[in-house]
Amino acid sequence: MLEKLTLRDFRCFDSVQVDVHPETTVFTGKNGQGKTSLIEAACVLLRLQSPRTSSRDEWVRFGAQAAVVEGKWNGSVLRCAQSAKARRLAVDGGVCTRSADYLSASGVVVWMDHADMNMLRAGAEHRRRYLDFTGSQLYPGYLTALRAYERALRGRNYALKKDAVIAWRQADAFARVMSEHARVLREHRAALIDLLRPFVTEHHAALSGVGESASVSYACGQSGDDLFEELISRRGDEERTRSTACGVHRDDILLTLNERDAGSFASEGQQRTLALAMKLAQAKVLHQVRGQAPLLLVDDVFGELDRHRRRALMAGMPQGTQKMITTTHLDWLEEGSLSGQVYEVDAGKVRGGA
Amino acid sequence: MPALDYPPPIQRLIAQLRSLPGLGPRSAERLALWLMQVGPLRVDPLARSLGLLHDTVRACDECGFFIEKDADCLLCTNERRNARLICVVEQAADVLRLERSGAFQGMYHVLGGKLSPLDNVTPEDLRIDSLMQRVQSLQAEEVILAVGSDVEGEATASYIADGLSGLGVSVTRLAQGMPAGGALDHVDELTLFQALHGRRKIG
Repeated sequence: MLEKLTLRDFRCFDSVQVDVHPETTVFTGKNGQGKTSLIEAACVLLRLQSPRTSSRDEWVRFGAQAAVVEGKWNGSVLRCAQSAKARRLAVDGGVCTRSADYLSASGVVVWMDHADMNMLRAGAEHRRRYLDFTGSQLYPGYLTALRAYERALRGRNYALKKDAVIAWRQADAFARVMSEHARVLREHRAALIDLLRPFVTEHHAALSGVGESASVSYACGQSGDDLFEELISRRGDEERTRSTACGVHRDDILLTLNERDAGSFASEGQQRTLALAMKLAQAKVLHQVRGQAPLLLVDDVFGELDRHRRRALMAGMPQGTQKMITTTHLDWLEEGSLSGQVYEVDAGKVRGGA
Repeated sequence: MPALDYPPPIQRLIAQLRSLPGLGPRSAERLALWLMQVGPLRVDPLARSLGLLHDTVRACDECGFFIEKDADCLLCTNERRNARLICVVEQAADVLRLERSGAFQGMYHVLGGKLSPLDNVTPEDLRIDSLMQRVQSLQAEEVILAVGSDVEGEATASYIADGLSGLGVSVTRLAQGMPAGGALDHVDELTLFQALHGRRKIG
């Protein structure tokens, strides 16, 4: 459980401390006041990554040297400081040189925002991001394999493009490295989707209430376990396109509703329900494997869900899930289903009000 | 009026220093000012050493480690070293590291870097061709690839192993896993995973 959250020079915040409520903490205020940055800071604190950006130096407030996020998680004080170049991590005052040590003391996170609908409407990269965000919280080697795979892929694609005559031996050297990491990623992703499937089906059925059957399955970007062999057989294609023809960077999740592709056939409402079911499934899997309830961070979408979905979201989260929610309006609060603390965020200042 | 700055010679020295690896603008400035203050007694030996560097030292044509000009390579000409065993490393500094471990008595081969298309390092920039020739001329039995285990290191190892595959020489890679004398609680999961995979039988 997150108890205290302190930000210094993080995004628009000069210095701010928030007492996080054990159940629900709501941040309200107009647009552009820093609500999202507050829950982003919580995500950074626990996962050292942000769903909003991949360049960490964006966290540092304009004109400041380093951004610091500190918080008390399950009794230990976590501290993450990020400057333009370096990152410093500490648990209970002890410096952690490896992020793995730090992460083993922190918790798991589920993040919800408007972009969730992209899982249904937009390209496969959004579904891979969902897998990667979950996978990196579950499997210790996942992120390392992913980074190494991506790096080898970039190197290989560059080697394929660079010369008029392709340096195949060089490309092959990188293909072998990719193949090794692809095996790890493929195995983890397949296992992860198997874990997710029953929860997605269950939550979607409960949410829709009309006997629809949703399912997820893994569409791997390579046909077998041996990426290297497969790439050898795709020489012709690669000669034409000058880029790597197959591999786990082309992975996708197939989302179906009554056995039809949900992206093209489901209605707006059905898609919303399925996106929500996937986030609930994510929380359930994290809870099941890691044995602790996740911290749920909801950016802006909560107030836009209808009452039915809002209830289902609250009821569907694992027992003891702590929630941090940003919203522009509080109309939905009057339903009285929440116990928690409301803060008002205004121009980089946080006031405990309402 | 232009903004005040150091006289041009100092500016040039700072520009030279900051182009060195590991030095930023501030460190370069600090070093330049220090050199300015300590006077010629301290600076001249430094300037001499720098000037003599390329006149007196070169890389051995065989192994790629540094030797004094007109001298024989202590590694390549040593009769007591096993010429059938070649250890491939990225940098000359790695030779010293392995040598200090005392565990290796064969020949070295310095590549001078690792394969990295993104940084424009191709096989032609590395001493890979000369390795192939050496393996044949020395009739090596084993080539140990002691390059790093990052993506570029692995790709380099894979590239070399591929090139050596027709030559009837056994190619090995350094083991990865538990640090010597360490307990389990100090090892991260990934290292532990690799240590488990590379476990060996003791009885």
